[in-house]
Amino acid sequence: MKGADRVAAVGVGYSKTGRRSGLTSWQLAIQAAKAALADAGMTPQDLDGVALLWGVAGPAPAGLDIVEPMDFGYMLGCGPLNWYGEAGPAYIGPAIQAVAAIKSGMAHTVLTLRIIRQRMSSAEQLASEGAMAQPMQVGGDAQFTAPFGSVSPVQSIAALPAQRHMDLFGTTEEQFGAHVVAQRHFATLNEDAIFRDPLTIEDYLNSRYISTPVRLLDCDYPVDSASAVIYTSAERAKDFKQKPVFVDSASYSSVKYMTFENIDDMTQSSPFHAARELWKRTDLTPADVDCAQLYDGFTIIVFQWLEALGLCGVGESGPFVAAGNTALGGSMPVNTDGGACNVGRRHGANFCIESIHQLRGEAGARQVPDAKVAVWANAVGPFSGAMLMTSE
Amino acid sequence: MSTPASLSPPIPAPTPLTAFFWESLTNRQLSILRCQNCGNYVHYPRPICNVCLSEDLAPEVVSGKGTLYAHTWATQAFHPYYVDKLPYCLAVVELPEQPGLRITSNIIDTPREQVHGGMALEVVFHEISPGLTLPLFVAEGFAPVTA
Ligand SMILES: [Zn+2]
Repeated sequence: MKGADRVAAVGVGYSKTGRRSGLTSWQLAIQAAKAALADAGMTPQDLDGVALLWGVAGPAPAGLDIVEPMDFGYMLGCGPLNWYGEAGPAYIGPAIQAVAAIKSGMAHTVLTLRIIRQRMSSAEQLASEGAMAQPMQVGGDAQFTAPFGSVSPVQSIAALPAQRHMDLFGTTEEQFGAHVVAQRHFATLNEDAIFRDPLTIEDYLNSRYISTPVRLLDCDYPVDSASAVIYTSAERAKDFKQKPVFVDSASYSSVKYMTFENIDDMTQSSPFHAARELWKRTDLTPADVDCAQLYDGFTIIVFQWLEALGLCGVGESGPFVAAGNTALGGSMPVNTDGGACNVGRRHGANFCIESIHQLRGEAGARQVPDAKVAVWANAVGPFSGAMLMTSE
Repeated sequence: MSTPASLSPPIPAPTPLTAFFWESLTNRQLSILRCQNCGNYVHYPRPICNVCLSEDLAPEVVSGKGTLYAHTWATQAFHPYYVDKLPYCLAVVELPEQPGLRITSNIIDTPREQVHGGMALEVVFHEISPGLTLPLFVAEGFAPVTA
């Protein structure tokens, strides 16, 4: 994606982020949007598109307000919009919408948002299900999985593929733990992270299993949060305050059915397709990447993206991580903000925003020296996407 | 049914397209939808064959054999039914009828140390709650996992 028709990211912002924030979804979205507009030195009149994803990953607490992209644009005082859309999975959906809209000329400047609400806790979920007068009825493809107790993403998204990765490649729990420890170390250097105390491999191995081999510390941390990124054309990017970060390549993948249990290859799912397309659309190669921000809803997703993107060989993510490559000062620093396990489940948006911070050179104590190329990736299994960003 | 949620796992809500699967199980048979034109099995059920685009599909009883593609021991309950059933072995089982043809199930009655990826399995039928029979699997032998 070389040349003057490139898309650039020119503003980023977060809402207040934490457990049960007391804020409405609208308030969270407004906080993030205002922060991104201020970061870009922009007013809502500069925008002509809004793409977002509202929603909860997991069972939703009652009474949440919904954010609609058209409604939200007009709430901010935007003029007529040339683009509006809601797409998933996670933050890659709105990001891809913005890039496609600007590349096609349908819009010139698009505000993207991922607004996410903290899901019910497991205890709340059990209580609410236990209060049902009749057995829970499940339709669609989930009728073939839920009656067997496949009732949580931790089982189908993480535990099944993680165990298969161990079976096929000899990956170990200590190798999963090496990632968790390295990523927490980055979080100790990030003032915006929620968990900032150092973690040892013993801490990891002493944490309880949720579904073998996945432990509590392999799971991201549900929060109320909104994240915003503003994209525009490379030409218009010159009008705004920040040094632009360019979208060099992007990809968006869907494979087979929208269930995790029945995809063709559990350890090489849609990220492998997304990564092949990502590299086809650029002159850059994996060797050019300075840091990688890889979705860590669960640890095994990071491992799958490392292999999919060619940052290590297929089946070699375990030894690659255990050798320290992904840690601070390693050959391929990964999740330099601490990841969603430590900054909260911002559902992929933090990986885009951290890439931008790194490429602007404003990541402080966790800055990767002279970072010029960053890759970030989001989601796994049936659907996913990735984006390659550059500072030049 | 007035069974409280804690006495039953989540139960299927069949459609005209999927009812055969559940009705077949009450007769202690495992059936998968199969294209009558080219022989391709289609699971989950769809009204078209994704190989030849024929819309002539019908359920066919399969052998009930399988190999363990992926598994996990669930150690936390996310539904009240499972609170007193931990750990349980959630499994994805590959059926020999066609490469990549898999169903979700549980491994039961098999010592935990004997449960390995790639192991040979065979189906057993368990009436879990009134009107709901599930196809579950037990060890048949052991075969090493392959990529
Ligand atoms: Zn056919």
